[in-house]
Amino acid sequence: MTTTALRGTAVTARVGLALGVAVAVCFVTGLISHFIQHPQPWFFWPTRPVWLYRVTQGLHVISGIAAIPLITVKLWSVWPKLFERPIIGGLVRQIERLSILVLVGSMLFQLSTGLLNIAQWYAFKFFFTTSHYAMAYVAAGAVLVHIGVKLPIIRRALGEPVDDTPVLVGPTRRSVLRGTWLAVALATVVTAGQTIPLLRKVSVLAPRSGQGPQGVPINRSAIAAGVLRSARSPDYRLTVTNGSTRRAFSFADLQAMPQATHRLPIACVEGWSVDAEWTGVVLADLVAAVGGSRESDVRMISLEPPGPYSRTVVPARHARDAKTLIALKLNGQTLDLDHGYPCRLIAPTRPGVLQTKWLSRIEVVAR
Amino acid sequence: MRAPPSGAITRIALIVLGLILGVYGAVLVWENPPVIIMRILVWALVGVVLHDAVFAPVCVALGFAARRLIPGKWWAPIAVAAFCSVVLAFLAIPVYGKPGIRPDNLTVLDRNYPLGLSISLAIVWLCLLIYFLAARLLPVRQDEMVQQQSAGDVEPQPPAV
Repeated sequence: MTTTALRGTAVTARVGLALGVAVAVCFVTGLISHFIQHPQPWFFWPTRPVWLYRVTQGLHVISGIAAIPLITVKLWSVWPKLFERPIIGGLVRQIERLSILVLVGSMLFQLSTGLLNIAQWYAFKFFFTTSHYAMAYVAAGAVLVHIGVKLPIIRRALGEPVDDTPVLVGPTRRSVLRGTWLAVALATVVTAGQTIPLLRKVSVLAPRSGQGPQGVPINRSAIAAGVLRSARSPDYRLTVTNGSTRRAFSFADLQAMPQATHRLPIACVEGWSVDAEWTGVVLADLVAAVGGSRESDVRMISLEPPGPYSRTVVPARHARDAKTLIALKLNGQTLDLDHGYPCRLIAPTRPGVLQTKWLSRIEVVAR
Repeated sequence: MRAPPSGAITRIALIVLGLILGVYGAVLVWENPPVIIMRILVWALVGVVLHDAVFAPVCVALGFAARRLIPGKWWAPIAVAAFCSVVLAFLAIPVYGKPGIRPDNLTVLDRNYPLGLSISLAIVWLCLLIYFLAARLLPVRQDEMVQQQSAGDVEPQPPAV
């Protein structure tokens, strides 16, 4: 079969369908992650199962990586259309070409910036989160318009057999599809181990091996946060406030309080995650110690100098959860400095970036 | 059979919803300072140009050359192995030389990526070899045999004994 016959809507539509599914998963899981970090009154995020965010964000990166071979084949299958005549044509044709440019440009933007971001390579000189979020709508919108425009062609192509003529020599369209699924599987296997423990050893291109101090990787080190001195100071106190009520706890005070141990995952926005055993004081007990309401949100403030993630707000639902801890130990050992010593927040179903480390102050937010 | 009227409604709904989402995204991009908007647009356009004017033509040229050097029955498995290699290379770009590494955090980019890429590429091409051996050694149905043959497989005269 010639390559001209190999490309064809039968391949384009089927690979496009898989790409559409990957983009949909990526878009929805991305929005979930965004709204957890920027809560809206209408947004509901449960505290169970505790691994929920681990799954949604893991899927976000896995589906994004799966989209790379898919978009490569999809573009291959339609590339000659770039040179179809008329090159310029009428207004409708120009609008169609422009919409394809937006579609391809925004998709390549999302996949390339996402892939670079999980490896922490900031080759682009714009802020990743805001531009990745904005372009997600452009890409999703362009995909929907594209599906709307092509729907009759897609339906017809999906209803027809993959190979319309018997093939005497060389590859068939079916072999193109099989090769595509194989490449998607390969791309997943070599990267997904940063969140799926079973694949850890074979994910040779994953940005994280899952190793780190006390068996847990880190994203922000104590050096980067500038807390080396303040975190180890003998004068360290964790201050808990509720309006004018204020109590200060030394590290020994926290150790003397009732301790709880829970297995909770730490799941990063960058798509890696590991399960760990955390021991510490239940946050609700500290809130109760200053007479805080179970219906109140709780603000976490780090020893880290003010920055985008040095303070976060824990919604009431998570703050009163029995598994939300102010952790003092990780996997049976006193927290490593890089994991947030003297104490850090660890709550179910929250992105790692919101699990504030090196806590200095906990404020019950007035309702 | 006439197309159901819901088809047109579905299409219009998809396009309208798509336009709303796209415009909202454009508004979000627009909230950036002009220099940032330019960088975002340039990044997106460079992606398109790199694909359309560099990657795609190189693939076409390589495919064109390979078709002349490789017998037809090998095209499909070799093309799949080559594509898998390209995907591995794509995924290796941000980790291979560890451009994002920072001395204070050794838990990121903590694998031997050149070794990982070499091993994964070796496995891909080893699978190809096994595929060829299996295709040669395992009993093959007659029509598959015919399918795998190209014009070059028809011998011009009986082999000399």
